[in-house]
Order: sequence, then C-alpha cells, then structure tokens
Amino acid sequence: MDIKYIEPFVLATQNLFLDSFKEEPEPQNAYLLSKDEDHNWGISGIIGIAGDTRGVVVVSFPEETAKEMVGRLVGRKITDLDEDVVDSIGEVVNIIAGNAKKGLEDYRLSISLPTVITGPAHRISWPAGIPIIGIPFKTSAGRIHLSVGLEDLIKV
Amino acid sequence: MKILVVDDSRIMRNIIKNTLTASKKWHFVDYIEAGDGEEAFELLLKGGVDLLLLDWNMPKLNGIDLVRKLREDLRFHKLPIVMITSEAAKYSVIEAVKAGVNDYLIKPVSERSLLDKLERIGV
Repeated sequence: MDIKYIEPFVLATQNLFLDSFKEEPEPQNAYLLSKDEDHNWGISGIIGIAGDTRGVVVVSFPEETAKEMVGRLVGRKITDLDEDVVDSIGEVVNIIAGNAKKGLEDYRLSISLPTVITGPAHRISWPAGIPIIGIPFKTSAGRIHLSVGLEDLIKV
Repeated sequence: MKILVVDDSRIMRNIIKNTLTASKKWHFVDYIEAGDGEEAFELLLKGGVDLLLLDWNMPKLNGIDLVRKLREDLRFHKLPIVMITSEAAKYSVIEAVKAGVNDYLIKPVSERSLLDKLERIGV
C-alpha cells in the first residue's frame, strides 16, 4: 500500500488536534477499509475532493469522543450531538482536508463544503472504484478515525 | 472600530471573536458576523466596516469570489481583508493575494498569529 498520499492527511489531523485539543493523536496502522463494514462511529464529517484527482476525506468519532472533544473546544459539557458538535466536526474535516492540500501541491485540488452525518448506524456511501484507507487514531477521549480515498493516487 | 467576521462555522466565528476580545487592543471593538459571502456583502453595504476577516469555503458566495467582488467595487477596494482559511496550498495563497486580500492565515489559527497579522496590516 502506497501511503505517501495519506501522510498529508495524517499530519493535518495531528496538527489540528494538537492546536485545538492540546494533544497529538497517535496514528495506528493504516488499513484498507471494507466499505460494508459495521462501525461504532456516532458522527462523521465528510468532504469531497475534486480537480486533478477525485476522492473523499472522512473523519469519524464515537459519540462520546465527539462530545468530549467538542466540549473542550467550546468550554462546556456537551450532552447531545447538538449544533455545536455538528458545526465543530464539519470544521475539523474542513481543516484536515484544506491543510492536507499543502502536502499535495503537485495536484490542483478543490474541496467541497463539509457534510456531517450522525447516528449510531449511519452508513457512508463511499465513491465507487476508489480504495478507501482507514487510519485509526488514539486520543485521551477515545479513538477517532480518518478515512481517505484519492483516485489513482492512493493505490492498494 | 467595526470588524466583520465571516465564516460558515459559528464555532469558528466565536473562536475568532473570543481570541480578539481577549486582547486589550481588540476588546472594545464592535463585531458583526455573517455565515456566507452574500450575507457579508449585504452587511458591508450598510457601511461602517473597518476590517473583514473572511473564510474561503462557504455556501452561496465563497470567500475568494467575495474578495474579487469587493476589489472591483470602488466603495470597498481599500477595505482591509484578512482571509482565515483551511486552504494551505501555496497556489491558494497566491490566488487569494492576486484576488486582493491584505493577508492570509491558515486554520487552525493561534492567538499570536492572528494578532500579529492585524498589527502587520496596520489596522
């Protein structure tokens, strides 16, 4: 698996969390995501990528992890996946995708506005024909998950 | 002084405002907000804005298109504009400078970098 094109997304994730949540998440082993697999994510922020390649970046959190992280950001205890959580997760995936472009400057890319979906059994319709690489991270608030697919760049 | 903060994320608008109001110099400034470029333009037409802090990726009218629109308009062609965005690629920075921003900050933004940029553009 060629992970060269995943590294900008991993770095962007680590830098963002260090800056905003004051801890550097520990990336675990990258793996090929099975598009049908069940997950325990409570919320996912999704951004599409277009331009010299097409793809997707998704950051996913279990519900409790998202509430904990956003609570730190906004300075109050979060009890539901409320507007602040949805807004924050959208901004998180926006920053990861936008920052990752710095490591992919050989390619002219544009990113979509973020979409955020919630719910314990939410399903993401992954783009057909593009392998998606999953990178779990460990944080003090629980695991977070980054999924990245870039057509013709990230190959397995 | 009046600052217009434009970002489709309310959380980000609050972070920017709170960062500035925590500093002595920017504490007693008036802040107004918009969630997209169209809303921002409507607020600018009302007059009185001294500084625009502007995101790039927004619905309706995005930040870069708003910058171009403002620089073509004699009423706003000298308005100080700082773009605060996740877009970190060099070609994005170049595009924004060519469009007419006074300065550019990449999110996540630190308090120090935001205050330094505002000092640098002499607002």
